[in-house]
Amino acid sequence: MSRPTTSRLAAQDLTLAYEDRTVVEGLDLEIPDGKVTVVVGPNACGKSTLLRALGRLLKPRRGAVLLDGAELARVPGKQIARTIGVLPQSPTPPDGITVADLVARGRQPHQKWWQQWSEADELAVAEALRRTDTADLSDRPVDELSGGQRQRVWIAMALAQDTDLLLLDEPTTYLDIAHQVEVLDLVRRLNHERGRTVVAVLHDLNQAARYADHLVAMKAGRIVAQGRPAEVVTAELVEDVFGLSSVVVPDPVTGGPLVVPARAWQPAPLQEEHTRSTTRP
Amino acid sequence: MSRATATAAPPAVRPAGHAVLRGGRASFLVHRRSVVVAVALAILLACAVVAYLCVGESFVPPTEVVRVLLGRPSPDELVVGTLRLPRLVVGLLAGAAFGVAGALVQTVARNPLASPDVIGVTHGAGAATVAAISFNAVAYDALPYVSVAGGLAAALLVYVFAWRRGLHSSRFVLVGIGVSVALGSLTQLFLTKGDYLVAQQAKVWLTGSLNGRGYEEARPLAVVLLLAVPAALWAARAQRGAHFDDDTAAALGVRLDRLRLGLTVLGVVLASVATGAAGPVDFVALLAPQIARRLTRTAQIPLLSSALTGALVVVVADLLARRLFSPIELPVGVLTAVVGAPYLMWLIVRTRSRSGGTTS
Repeated sequence: MSRPTTSRLAAQDLTLAYEDRTVVEGLDLEIPDGKVTVVVGPNACGKSTLLRALGRLLKPRRGAVLLDGAELARVPGKQIARTIGVLPQSPTPPDGITVADLVARGRQPHQKWWQQWSEADELAVAEALRRTDTADLSDRPVDELSGGQRQRVWIAMALAQDTDLLLLDEPTTYLDIAHQVEVLDLVRRLNHERGRTVVAVLHDLNQAARYADHLVAMKAGRIVAQGRPAEVVTAELVEDVFGLSSVVVPDPVTGGPLVVPARAWQPAPLQEEHTRSTTRP
Repeated sequence: MSRATATAAPPAVRPAGHAVLRGGRASFLVHRRSVVVAVALAILLACAVVAYLCVGESFVPPTEVVRVLLGRPSPDELVVGTLRLPRLVVGLLAGAAFGVAGALVQTVARNPLASPDVIGVTHGAGAATVAAISFNAVAYDALPYVSVAGGLAAALLVYVFAWRRGLHSSRFVLVGIGVSVALGSLTQLFLTKGDYLVAQQAKVWLTGSLNGRGYEEARPLAVVLLLAVPAALWAARAQRGAHFDDDTAAALGVRLDRLRLGLTVLGVVLASVATGAAGPVDFVALLAPQIARRLTRTAQIPLLSSALTGALVVVVADLLARRLFSPIELPVGVLTAVVGAPYLMWLIVRTRSRSGGTTS
């Protein structure tokens, strides 16, 4: 609060590696407070790795992630868990757990041995269930839910954790388009109504452009561009980051940038003729 | 903004099957079914204890047994208080220790196949003790300590071999089975190298027998169990974190590697001490937690019910072992193995058919 120019969550000179493979090197990033930041980039560019480090799921090889100016590695885990909620890419629920029980586990960082289920816990869980439209499912076992329902339940658990910052690693993977939109709308609503800071990694560039306040484009472990989607998403950037030639047109609904691949797929004409003549009598 | 709707009708949300006790800022969750199960098990155990003390070469009426237990003078003081009771105490304590140890190891491994017997702890304790007996290395009183050291060493070995930037549950179990087999062979080697009569004595110990066990064996066990109570209370709550994958646990502020280490060490110490006192009573640590969990129907393995079930299994098994082929007494480990081995096979078959058969 004392330094309004600095954001609560920031990475400084961050180098991340798995064993001897360096994924991210010397990265600096400030996550704007109260905004939705979306990280995009091609497969294996280090975007998920970056998110894991921001959520202290991965220890930096060099540099640091700062939360309110303190190095994340030096803050007790439980304390971080009261400020940063993380939804990992493919979480596994405990066997046979019900929806309400799983969401209730999100309260764990707030509980002590003598405070196992306070009224605050109860309110937070009820609220998380309501916001994610999962209250009707609360007695069902998580194993029996569809992919979309399950994802909403995991988000509910992260919400019950009641943190100012929420990190989501590809929250729309495995969901059909309607559920993808549903989840992203929920994320936007959370940010809008509660002023929560959200950082999400998304695969789909158009969804990223549509839902982000702040877009971070990564390539090979470095940040190539960041800023408002309208400024960042250009045909040159898409060419540079994804190696795809494209046309960027205004989204017919939002007016924001919409990326359309430049070349339509066309069959090689001769080949096509040939197969047709041989397969048909 | 949403306050108005939230305060209008806050629905009571609580973890399934739990009652909430609140007083001031403190609040506690009680799983109702677990309480009922624990009370029922305690009553059963009390009945088994009385039956154990009644039945033997000579029958002692329950009224006299209760008199002795309450410290009143009784003509059956010698039979009940001096002959049967010390042995029963060892059985009770060892059973409870095996039950909790099994529950903890199964929680860490997230695998009902895992238990201290399977992952090498009891074999480590066995190998160390047989070596000590065969080569006459230590005084008889020191055997429990040798056994504990052996169990801990075996567990450490398994841990070192299974550790590869984290503890993967199936690798843990596989390495454990491997170490168990190796230690089993080592035990056989010690038996053949040692004196014939001594080997005979060691063999009885190896099947897990309560025959001739008394307060000398019970004392270290009781001390460790008492010391383990606060640790077990911690473990009962900490267990909840162990059900998640590493990332989700970390997101909730749980250090899963430390938690696993803590739970494992506690389980291994309990299993080793129990083995030192009663010998490797096979399958109790494997069976008891699973029976208890089926009774309480909880996602996590209930520690108190596991302890009670373990004690009940050992007491009943030893009662049968004493009387079934009277006057010949079987080692209690034979009885538990007769029940436990088919269960283990059933478990393996069931796990395999389930993982292969369904897609959901």
